[in-house]
Amino acid sequence: MVGVTRVGTYFPRRRLDRALIAQAWGARAGVGVRTVAGLGEDALTLAVDAVADCVGDGDPQAFDALYFASTSSPYGEKQVASLVATAADLPRTAAVADFGGSVRAGLAALRAALDGVRAGTIASGLVVAADTRLAEPASELEALLGDGAAAVAVGRDGVVAEVVATASVSEEFTHVFRTDAQRYLQLAEPRFGATYGYGRDVADAVGAALRKAELPPAKVAKLALAAPDARAAAEVAKRIGCEPGRQLVPSLLAEAGFLGSPDPLVLLARALEDAAPGDFLVVGAWGEGADALVLRATDALPARRPRPLADRLARPLPVPSYERYLRARGVLPAESVGGEAVTSVLEWKELRQDVRLYGSRCDACGLVQYPQARVCIGCQARDRMTERKLARRGTVFTFTVDHLAPVPELPMPMAVIDLEGGGRVYLQCTDATLDEVKVGTPVTLTFRRLHEGGGNRNYFWKARPA
Amino acid sequence: MKDKVAVIGVGCTKFGDRFDRGYEDLICDAAFEAYADAGIEPEAIQAAYLGTYMPGAGGGKSAVSLADALRLYDRPITRVENYCATGTDAFRNGCMAIAAGLYDVVLVLGAEKLKDRGGRGLPRFGHPLLAKGNSAPGLFALAANRYMHTFGLGRETLARVAVKNHRNGAKNERAHLRMEVTEEQVLKAPMIAWPFGLFDCCPTTDGAAAAILCRADLAPALSKRSAVRVKGVGLAVHTGRPYFDPTFDYLGFRSTQAAARQAYAMAGITPRDVDFAEVHDCFTWTEISNIEDLGFCAKGHGGGLVDEGRTAIGGDIPINPSGGLKSFGHPIGASGVRMITEVVTQLRGESGARQIHDARIGLAHNVGGPGAVACVVVLGH
Repeated sequence: MVGVTRVGTYFPRRRLDRALIAQAWGARAGVGVRTVAGLGEDALTLAVDAVADCVGDGDPQAFDALYFASTSSPYGEKQVASLVATAADLPRTAAVADFGGSVRAGLAALRAALDGVRAGTIASGLVVAADTRLAEPASELEALLGDGAAAVAVGRDGVVAEVVATASVSEEFTHVFRTDAQRYLQLAEPRFGATYGYGRDVADAVGAALRKAELPPAKVAKLALAAPDARAAAEVAKRIGCEPGRQLVPSLLAEAGFLGSPDPLVLLARALEDAAPGDFLVVGAWGEGADALVLRATDALPARRPRPLADRLARPLPVPSYERYLRARGVLPAESVGGEAVTSVLEWKELRQDVRLYGSRCDACGLVQYPQARVCIGCQARDRMTERKLARRGTVFTFTVDHLAPVPELPMPMAVIDLEGGGRVYLQCTDATLDEVKVGTPVTLTFRRLHEGGGNRNYFWKARPA
Repeated sequence: MKDKVAVIGVGCTKFGDRFDRGYEDLICDAAFEAYADAGIEPEAIQAAYLGTYMPGAGGGKSAVSLADALRLYDRPITRVENYCATGTDAFRNGCMAIAAGLYDVVLVLGAEKLKDRGGRGLPRFGHPLLAKGNSAPGLFALAANRYMHTFGLGRETLARVAVKNHRNGAKNERAHLRMEVTEEQVLKAPMIAWPFGLFDCCPTTDGAAAAILCRADLAPALSKRSAVRVKGVGLAVHTGRPYFDPTFDYLGFRSTQAAARQAYAMAGITPRDVDFAEVHDCFTWTEISNIEDLGFCAKGHGGGLVDEGRTAIGGDIPINPSGGLKSFGHPIGASGVRMITEVVTQLRGESGARQIHDARIGLAHNVGGPGAVACVVVLGH
């Protein structure tokens, strides 16, 4: 049996009330909030968090492939999948690839990974899609888009949703685009594109997949259609003979926004929250054509359901003003904050310590310590160290809230954290209200963009309240 | 080494935003005053030790900036840099050279020109990823918060340290910040790094200070000044990355404790014999922890000493009668030598409105890092 074995998601904690966007531009207020990636977050960091949610307490070394999908990758040239795989501590032999081009990349990457499992080239793979697409201020897309990520594990063991059929259509259609000279996403003809581009292509792909699966539309339990608006998805549902109210998986538009390439995978996660074994799930996504995937929930699902999206979206951190949103997304640039370049020599030498987050354990006294050292800080034993992977969870031992540190967003909490299973680290805190970081606060480590020294993106771990 | 080395002259510039003076000017001002105080000519100086964190422009990372400022050529000059203990460690090296019998007369000079470099606080050097985002206030605040959490100390006690040191510094014409502050002002000041507000932090300061040392047995012949003797010195280094040490309790600094033990042992005294001390109050909490680490009271009781007024001039253990780093200012490499000048002046009975009655044993202490390097110097008659 080939299929999905686990699903994880991640959303930035910051939320912008759409009323603040409307207030800024004197427009009619949209409903709800959108998720907003902060200055230290991008598609890469969201992907690392989604992979962590998907892998959970499982062994990341057990995966032999990782595909990353995004249209808002932090790099024009430089693979993101390999850094995500390294931060997630996948083995060095994992097959990795980046998918992009359109928001169909998320579902396309999932299809490719499932094909790999079916072909026997992937035993246990991860697909992670993440986007932080930027809309022009005051444009229609600004309120619509949201930032987020989803990760899907695929394989043959522990399948919770098996692949029944796939189908694609592909045809040139200019609807949403961003050239290599543009910073903001462009929307060509909203209503025309929704009907004749999105609607026609998705309906054709889903229709073809259902015919391949010999599945009458009425038998679909969950129709998970990534869509830029609720009406477009409902129109497709009707077009293929489904009832939107009964079969359509509710979108995240009011709670998070249109997420881009992770959208279909997030909707799949939502579908798996309450699907019954045997239920047919259909996932569809558009982008100059469309992909559709028919899955059937297995008996293994009830024991391995993903954490509900409502949990993942709980405890929001409201962005206090539209201006703060612009600052968070780099539209209103902060004064440039210098940072030393991480040379490729240093990065290479310290990759296991800095990115995989391995410390040392002293074989003489048992003390786990970080960074890696040759002489034990507890008992001074020499060269008795064994490399030890550190936990991504811990407790604040002490802290401060710095109002002057050279970082783009102040005040900034910093904390000394005792990690579960040993090791003490000292990290910037993020996504926290000022009273959340104190002695005893449980925290989770999160991989973030630390600074832009040397004109590069320099990533490292930060801590966020658990 | 006890009693083998004497301090026969001291000099200190006005501390502050010395935009009117260059790095080499400050060196000259401090050195010339020390020459005059000792009553010697520079030809008598056989070796010198320069304490500086960042030599002035053109000085390079060497001792050359002292040689060029004073035209003190063709003799050994060594630059000492050891975080905030730079000044006292330069002094310690000068003492050791004399005690070893190498030289009879040595100049120790600390100088720092922080204000020429613009920006706030000190430039940060370090790993491009690990501990990134730290600042000097933020690093000491980690210790302060853990200490306050453990012992239930409030910000009010921290504020009282600032009030006392500003009161002392207001009496000192060479201090950087010569105004008194109220507890309310300190508590309501803008936040720098919780729990430190602006008045919990020492300023960044320009300044220089100098001391002339000689073989104690030669002091009467060399100088008309009544010599102050070096009773003991101690220096200890602990981890510069305390935030990675899982065994560290964050309640005080082992470097200070060890340096104090060394200095007391050399001097043959106990903390009770110390009449007053200049301690490293880079932040208000640091002074409270320091007086515990130096053995003036038990761990956790430093705040009580402050609250009861026992650390004020007139109290039983006056701390920072000069005004401390808090009010006098903190030009990194100069601070330790400046403390020596205060201790010498007090022991000579020349401190005027700040004079401590019957001061016979005084102590100077630096700690930097935080907790990475500490130096303790005990002086007496």
